[in-house]
Amino acid sequence: MEKLTIKDIPLEEYTITPGSACQGCGPALAARLVFKALGDKVIRHEVPSCPDSVTRTPYTFSVFESAGAALTGISRALKVLGRDDVLAVGFIGDGGTYDIGFQALSAAAERNEDVLWFCKNNEAYMNTGIQRSSATPLYAWTTTTQIGPRGRGKETPRKNLPFIIAAHHVPYVATASIAFPTDLIGKVLYAKKLRGFRFIDILCPCPTGWRFDPSRTIEVARLAVQTGMWALYEIIDGREFRLTYKPKKLKPVEEYLRLQGRFRHLTDREIEEIQRMVDEKWERLLKLDEEGEFPL
Amino acid sequence: MTVEVMVGNKAAATAAKLSRVQVAVAFPVTPQTTIVEYLNEFITKGEMDCEFINVEGELTAQVVVQAASRIGVRTFCCTSGPGCLYMHHPMHDTSSLRLPVVMAVVHRGNKGMQPDHTDLMSHIMTGWIQWYVENNQEVLDSIIMAYRVAEDMRVRIPIAVGYDGYILSYTAEPVDIPDQEEVDDFLPPYKPTPSLMPEDFDPKAPRWWRVPWEEHHKVIVDAKEVIKEVNEEFGKRFGRSYGNGLVEEYRCEDAEAVIVAMGTIASTAREAIDNLRAEGKPVGLVKLKCLIPFPYEDFQRIGSEVRAIGMVDRNVCLGVGGVGHTFIRNAIYDLEERPRVLGFHAGLAGKEVKVSDIEHMAEKVLKAARGESVSPLVEWV
Repeated sequence: MEKLTIKDIPLEEYTITPGSACQGCGPALAARLVFKALGDKVIRHEVPSCPDSVTRTPYTFSVFESAGAALTGISRALKVLGRDDVLAVGFIGDGGTYDIGFQALSAAAERNEDVLWFCKNNEAYMNTGIQRSSATPLYAWTTTTQIGPRGRGKETPRKNLPFIIAAHHVPYVATASIAFPTDLIGKVLYAKKLRGFRFIDILCPCPTGWRFDPSRTIEVARLAVQTGMWALYEIIDGREFRLTYKPKKLKPVEEYLRLQGRFRHLTDREIEEIQRMVDEKWERLLKLDEEGEFPL
Repeated sequence: MTVEVMVGNKAAATAAKLSRVQVAVAFPVTPQTTIVEYLNEFITKGEMDCEFINVEGELTAQVVVQAASRIGVRTFCCTSGPGCLYMHHPMHDTSSLRLPVVMAVVHRGNKGMQPDHTDLMSHIMTGWIQWYVENNQEVLDSIIMAYRVAEDMRVRIPIAVGYDGYILSYTAEPVDIPDQEEVDDFLPPYKPTPSLMPEDFDPKAPRWWRVPWEEHHKVIVDAKEVIKEVNEEFGKRFGRSYGNGLVEEYRCEDAEAVIVAMGTIASTAREAIDNLRAEGKPVGLVKLKCLIPFPYEDFQRIGSEVRAIGMVDRNVCLGVGGVGHTFIRNAIYDLEERPRVLGFHAGLAGKEVKVSDIEHMAEKVLKAARGESVSPLVEWV
């Protein structure tokens, strides 16, 4: 990634106030930051997602499952027309990335299509009203993982999608957060200069779906990273691994979980279980970071 | 112009080459597979300048051509049976966005490997123009014509060119291959509208979205006139045309009864009609090439000229009946004097349709035309 300070963030704005975004919308801010970094030589592709991002760039849309296919078509057509100055950019939700769009995503990555894929990850299907996706974390409440005598929220942890994409040996995979704009934009600027398949998974808190006060979006996003619930890293060529944010000590996950209504039901034991999971994963990530290598 | 003996799938690939397709996408599926291989061969040998993408499935294939067409290149796609069904979801958008994609559908039915028309007919509501062709020459000619029709600004609707799997896909026939210069002259380069390039983009313009239903329907209905024009012009330039582009009438003069057939069954029917005409029986053949948009006007005219029509459907809309039979009955309903319309389900799941089968059908339709009672009105042959 490129090292930036806050002063290096481009001043130009390429998003128009999103019509369908709620107050405190995380993905709307992700769009603002990403397209600032990309500039105006962009064709943005969308599939059904929340919110409906609006940019001042040309855009295309296609059916939910097909972002990897459409980006392939856009990128190959641009190649035929000799327009390598125009970027094919996907700005796709976690449903269109982790779940229904996964086949076409994996195939496009395997073909190393010349595209930039941003996952605006709000950890559930927010467009249809908060249903679980495979990006939803363990024990989170959603309308399809409810709490009651026979339910404790989502039964399994989220899919480790960035690692799966990195295992396609593509030029660039990274995670990012809207609470770390220089980290995010540094990654976008670095990815922009590469060719081939590039994937950045951005955690974007959703006040409506996660059940927190819309004024606290950045705080929630920051705590996700500071507690290790969402680690920031990059993987280059499916080979080099680097944590891009390494606090000396992680904050307790409870600080993150207690801010959100979707985790309100958690017992102390459940919180401890999540804490153990996060600690173990963090140890493994630190080891990878130390070795600097992504496992084959 | 050169003549080469080639299989239907090579005729399709050759048409894509002659049409200077810029992006071709397909996922292999029997019996379409060799189109993919021929294209790969043309490109590898340097005979064709085209971006070919080996995708992981047909749904992706359809979306790749859709997106590439939108950006502004001429695209080609091909499929069969299950692959054709797998594309269903994005096919609606290809039409709704009015993109001139052309796709060869090598028919394979929905109940197995054998050919019938149930694959493409499952897409009747997707808003694609559908042609059903008879022989390898018509495969080649129709794909070239399809680009000209689809890219016409009055149309901008995708076209599926269907031909029977196995019967044509793997069967060799002599095919006249037009010269590249002649095809270039007939088919100017494709230009997208509106342009999606950043320098042309106006963020204040209305969002380009799916065309509303009524307008969508009317555009497809009105495409009949363009299809006729293009078919006529193709005839003038290349010496071959196919009826009026929508239907093709064979020995219909003074006919009391006609058989209507689609695809390769039309070839079999020509022979049966010849045999019956030799016996002095006034029967003719109407080949129904263009199913969507349906040529209502042609069937109203034919319906007013004959006393009975027999539709041979290589399909069944389950719980309803033959698609052609239903559409023809719909077309003639407004006539003051209506002919009788009999139906035959034939050739489903690859069942062989013999000349004698068509003779039997035509004789039954002729009986109906002469006022004799016939039963059943819809027959499974």
